[in-house]
Amino acid sequence: MKPADEIKRLINKSDVRTSSQVDKRILGEALEHLEKLKQQRSAGTRPDIWRTIMKSSITKIAAAAVIVIAAVLAINLWNRSMPAAYALEQTIQANHTVRYLHIKDFDAKHSAEPKEFWIEFYEDGQVKNVRMQFPLWDSPDDGPKVVVWQENKAKVWFKQKGTLLTVNDQTVAELMLMVVVKCDPRLAMERLYDQERQGKVTVEIDEPSDKAQPIVVTATYLGTDSLPGTRQVVLVDRATKLVTAVEFYQLKEGEYQYIGKQEYSDYNRPIEAEMFTLNEVPADVMRVDQTTQEVGLAQGTLTDEEIALEVARQFFEALIAQDYAKAGKLLEGIPAEKIKELFGGRKFLRIISVGPVAPHPIPETRGVIVPCIVEMEENGKISEWKLDRLGVRQVYNQPGRWTIFGGI
Amino acid sequence: MEDKLLVWRCKRGSRDALSRIYEKYKRDLLTLAIALSNDASTAEDVVHDVFVGFVEAIEKFRLTGSLKGYLLTCVANRARNANKARHRHSVGLDLPEPVSPDADEPPWSIVCNEELQQLSCAMAQLAYDQREAIMLHFQAAMTFRAIAMQQGISVNTVKSRYRYGLDKLRSILDSESKK
Repeated sequence: MKPADEIKRLINKSDVRTSSQVDKRILGEALEHLEKLKQQRSAGTRPDIWRTIMKSSITKIAAAAVIVIAAVLAINLWNRSMPAAYALEQTIQANHTVRYLHIKDFDAKHSAEPKEFWIEFYEDGQVKNVRMQFPLWDSPDDGPKVVVWQENKAKVWFKQKGTLLTVNDQTVAELMLMVVVKCDPRLAMERLYDQERQGKVTVEIDEPSDKAQPIVVTATYLGTDSLPGTRQVVLVDRATKLVTAVEFYQLKEGEYQYIGKQEYSDYNRPIEAEMFTLNEVPADVMRVDQTTQEVGLAQGTLTDEEIALEVARQFFEALIAQDYAKAGKLLEGIPAEKIKELFGGRKFLRIISVGPVAPHPIPETRGVIVPCIVEMEENGKISEWKLDRLGVRQVYNQPGRWTIFGGI
Repeated sequence: MEDKLLVWRCKRGSRDALSRIYEKYKRDLLTLAIALSNDASTAEDVVHDVFVGFVEAIEKFRLTGSLKGYLLTCVANRARNANKARHRHSVGLDLPEPVSPDADEPPWSIVCNEELQQLSCAMAQLAYDQREAIMLHFQAAMTFRAIAMQQGISVNTVKSRYRYGLDKLRSILDSESKK
């Protein structure tokens, strides 16, 4: 056996046992430190979900989902510091038992077309299934789209583009769970209590005498908070103690102006499994499954610039060789027959130039552009095809691989 | 995913989360520490210090890669320091306690199985730099480039340490198998 194999075998078979005394000895001091830190932590920070989301490099799809979930779960913030009749513990309890949820997310400028989200949770609070529907206004480039997420796979149906894209995606559930953790009622209330004491936020509760009216909790963030000039109005159902809506306001020109609202409904009304399947996608849409194939080209030791050039070069070489399978692999994993349909009518003759690489004009794409000129023949006529904005970037969730994008 | 949540919960002061991280990775961490230090007591100290350091830095800690990789790197760094300190003070080596399923397990010590003892003994015969290169490459699954960056040396140096280390291991393991 080679020494490398022998070492691997020894490492794999190596085992170590520790008694509880040893564990205590190793971990005891760290646990004590942790306890001290916890006690020392002053007001800390409010779980700044909004800032986290805005700074995150996650996809817009995931971000949108998180924003709404955050709002639902952040409701727990208001509970303990409220002074009186409002049954806080009941609200916490109610939020803990949510298994199904339907959310509508309204933007002040597009109030007729909300984004919609359906979420199913496991009993332990983990996210089981998600469906998200985004209208055109949310992303004009993508067009209206539907996303379902299940078991770390996201299927995105681009309705206008007629494409169904399947990708590995942990971010949706991951970020939702992060938000759940951030909004753990016990911790969140401690923070709010401290923040109130420090005068960072004011909370007002209005419990109308009319029992049919919801409890209204208004939280206003003051100048010292990380969300200065924002106000959230939370409506709580009197009977169930569940949040039914949150309205968002921003201070502009001395007034709190309405910027949007989220409505939460159908608590624990089971959502049909069909909602999470996307079986309604028509048979004739292009289907690209990036979970079952390696997309793009491996970067290896090449620099980002070199790999971008190489991807573009190999793509056109594949078209010249009429190797549509390879070209498809380099173009987001689009099936060979679709590539043939798109490019088969032209005969690609030679590459005239590739590069130089430049930053992509839309930074959110996290890609570069590789200008290319190729010579081709179409209908017996030879011409030059100039592509000024051929985009190349890393494949989503396939680290170290690069692809041309924009085909989907 | 789970690790990010655990780190998050640690940041919020969760003892359960820290214990879970320890339980999840203690085998890997102790194995690396033992293989590098060839001493159960030093290994215990190293892992202890890694967790104390982890908690001390938890508020600013941001998990960008794998938590296991991060902790293993910390173990390697601490083990290197411990090794230097040990040489300075000329402290003798204590071999790890052998696993003896029939015997009463000493409650105060770390118990290594036969493979780990074999690994540790073989590694002890290599120069420290060589063991480090081999263990980080195999156990922490670090590339030579990553090891080089972490240690501030060239990739070629890491590769030669690794290669010479493996060559020496070959002869050590061969001679052991002939016994």
